[in-house]
Amino acid sequence: MALRSQLLKGVLEACVMAVVEEQPIYGYELSQKLQRIGLPDISDGTIYPVLLRLQKNGFIRGEMRPSATGPNRKYYFLTEEGKVELEQMAFEWLQIAEPVSQLLKRGGHDERND
Amino acid sequence: MRGTIKLIKENNDKRELLTSENEKVYEDLLLYIRTDLRVDERAAEELLMDLLDHIIEGQENGKNAADLFGDSPEAYADELIANIPKEDKRNIMLLATSFMLGLAGWFALSYGILNGVISIFIPVDNDFALGSVLLILLALFLVGILGVFIVFRIIRSSVFKKEIQNWKIYVQSGLFGMAGVAFIMGVGYVFEGIGPVIQIQWWVFLLIGLALLGVTKGMSHLSTS
Repeated sequence: MALRSQLLKGVLEACVMAVVEEQPIYGYELSQKLQRIGLPDISDGTIYPVLLRLQKNGFIRGEMRPSATGPNRKYYFLTEEGKVELEQMAFEWLQIAEPVSQLLKRGGHDERND
Repeated sequence: MRGTIKLIKENNDKRELLTSENEKVYEDLLLYIRTDLRVDERAAEELLMDLLDHIIEGQENGKNAADLFGDSPEAYADELIANIPKEDKRNIMLLATSFMLGLAGWFALSYGILNGVISIFIPVDNDFALGSVLLILLALFLVGILGVFIVFRIIRSSVFKKEIQNWKIYVQSGLFGMAGVAFIMGVGYVFEGIGPVIQIQWWVFLLIGLALLGVTKGMSHLSTS
């Protein structure tokens, strides 16, 4: 697995929850959206184990609904617990992402402590 | 239970929309997941429906089912299974009991019909040693339950193999079937005449069989899934 895929795997649950929070969405639409927003490493199937895990933990729930294109589809919704979890994940991600980004922008970083 | 049956039927109908290549890939995964007895049936069917919808929509946009499951469909299926909720213990007990009663029901029904037909031509022996009958039933359950596990295991181990050798599955299942029948007959032969002997007419077997099958049908509605 590419390093980028491994890094992504750790935050994929948060990404999926963030997309589901925007609007109830079904599997295919979700995978397309993740790819469109610039995560092409998310292959189509990657999301299903994640969706199952999030459902098992009660962070999202599925409901059969008629889709715009015709037959019923399973749409995913963020639960109240999911909202709390997403907040927490987003907070923790920013704690890591900002300092890491600063650190890795070698040459362009400002040495605030100097 | 009703909802699950509806999902299975919908799955059968929708599967016809797949191209033959995609159907093959999807059906392998379906078989692999459905023959895993540990997972919650309802949750598994919902996931299978989700994946089927995904493949159908992908197919319309020029994608293949094989892309969805990656390089190793077996590893992908195992990852899915690991994340599906486990079957409720109560449902497993209910399923096992209903399976055993069903098996005994069919056994009694066939025995009753067979003896009924034979008794038209020649007098049949209606004496049964209760202890022996119970032991034979026990052997039947054992072979039945073991049979489900073994046949499912044979199917699961061959699903994702590149060249499926169907004849191997048939030979292995057939050999188990023969061993099972031999075992049951052996138990009947070795433990002959144990316990009190009573007379049971062929039509009593028929009634017992029908009653057991009725109970089995009733039990399927009790399942919580």
